[in-house]
Amino acid sequence: MDKQAILKELSDAMVTCKADVIMAATKKAADAGMPGAEIIDGLAAGMTQVGDLFERGKVFLPHVMMAANGMQAAINTLDMGEAGATVKKVIINGTVEGDVHDIGKSIVSTMLQSAGFEVHDLGRDVPIAKFVEAVREYNADMVGLSALMTTTLNGQKDVIELLKANGLRDNVKVMVGGAPATQTWAEKIGADCYAENASEAVERAKALLL
Amino acid sequence: MAAEYALRMGDGKRVFMSKEKIKEEAIAGAGHAVDYGSIPDLSCDEIDKIIEICIMPGKSVSVEIGMEVPVTHDIGTIRLDGDQGNSGVGIPSSRLIGMMMHERAFGADTMELGHIDYSYKAVKPIVFQECQAMEVAQQNMIVPLFYGAMPNMGLYYTPDGPYENPGDLLKAFKLDEAFASMEKSAAHLTRDIVWIMQKLYASGADGINLDTTGAAGDADAYAALNAVKALREEFPDMYIEVGMAGENIIGMHGMLEFEGTVLAGLWPHQQVALAEKAGANVFGPVVNTNTSRSFPWNLARAITFIKECSKVSKIPLHVDVGMGVGGIPMFETPPFDAVTRASKALVEMTGVDGL
Repeated sequence: MDKQAILKELSDAMVTCKADVIMAATKKAADAGMPGAEIIDGLAAGMTQVGDLFERGKVFLPHVMMAANGMQAAINTLDMGEAGATVKKVIINGTVEGDVHDIGKSIVSTMLQSAGFEVHDLGRDVPIAKFVEAVREYNADMVGLSALMTTTLNGQKDVIELLKANGLRDNVKVMVGGAPATQTWAEKIGADCYAENASEAVERAKALLL
Repeated sequence: MAAEYALRMGDGKRVFMSKEKIKEEAIAGAGHAVDYGSIPDLSCDEIDKIIEICIMPGKSVSVEIGMEVPVTHDIGTIRLDGDQGNSGVGIPSSRLIGMMMHERAFGADTMELGHIDYSYKAVKPIVFQECQAMEVAQQNMIVPLFYGAMPNMGLYYTPDGPYENPGDLLKAFKLDEAFASMEKSAAHLTRDIVWIMQKLYASGADGINLDTTGAAGDADAYAALNAVKALREEFPDMYIEVGMAGENIIGMHGMLEFEGTVLAGLWPHQQVALAEKAGANVFGPVVNTNTSRSFPWNLARAITFIKECSKVSKIPLHVDVGMGVGGIPMFETPPFDAVTRASKALVEMTGVDGL
């Protein structure tokens, strides 16, 4: 079996969202001599596909979690050597103060966590100072700011300004999202990126942090 | 240089586009709906019609004579009183004045009484005040008057409600606990909607509007549809309107079914069949506006989805055309030019029965 076929099998296994299928494909790849890092690449490609299917309403959040759980269990069986000691990138995520919308932000947190990031979800209606405290406390690599209302969108800008005032802006990437946010808005307030949906949030985080 | 036409982005920003660019955007938007919803594409004539509406010279446009449809307002009750932070214009006035202004001055064909908290859970402890307001309103108004609020099942989860937040449980890989929490919340929500509407129907409400159904995912839609079914059984003549929160029912649970159909992942043309089965009289389909895309892209996408929904629906459709839906930009006071163009296109091209 060639490398491409094994990678496809790993990816297809992820799309089933079934832990036993993912474990079996991982074992088969490891038995065939594929290095752990490449196996993870194959699984990650499948996870990306799961995210895309979620956006299309073809698989649902519990499936995403089951796929992520299966992937993590499979990775734990691999002998990663030096690479196994890799520290997870840390993301703080929350909905800005005054905005009680929770679901979309929670989906983004779940998808980021499923993609292998260490996520600290601060919830909704989060005071701007709390984002800054969390960035410090967890030594975060990225902070995700959600807002679903045009009236609360400015909270994203306020967090960025407070990060600057505390001398933390250069240490952390800022991602913004939510229905009224746009790429133009992200550029205007000095965010590092804008994500349109949960799958895109994962892609943006990977591009900026990995 | 080709002529350029003043249009909008999905966030309301002014942009100028050539006719060729508008066509390119409309084709791409329609194609996106075809891809995601597995539904038929628009014809060349329909794309041309979208272009024609986009480039009309007037700041506002209207439907052709003879194609007028009923219009209704959900939270119009407080549209005058609420300020910009509440999508209103900040004129101090009572809810009754708000409703009567819509009926008599703005030409609304139906209205609803709604509370500022606008969620069934929040209404429960003040239902008798709402009953009194309904009685007074009915004594002063002629158009059909609903009671309206959002199912808003998020209010049943911690920290606002008694059941553990499934978002937190899912993140902790506690899937069974998350499912149980959603199911208990759904049962509670169904009970509350029915209880509240029993009181308001007795106080003269002509019907109920379930606004933004499915906002908290498939369990939210499950609760609302079961409430519709229960209300229809108890009140055969009650007028029931089901409006959606978004174009696709988010699968937070993933396995909940209504009348044998899995709710998660359904698009407007699939949602309407269930609203109909539950006993709704009117369905309000939603197509989300993408703030990063242009007005022609969003409009063509909305037309493609709503056209299919209209084709399969056996009950009247009153399509949602507010801020951030139905091709209209996501902007606190949606631009007039975009609102009227989207309204005209949806009415003339999709066969919807109202807005």
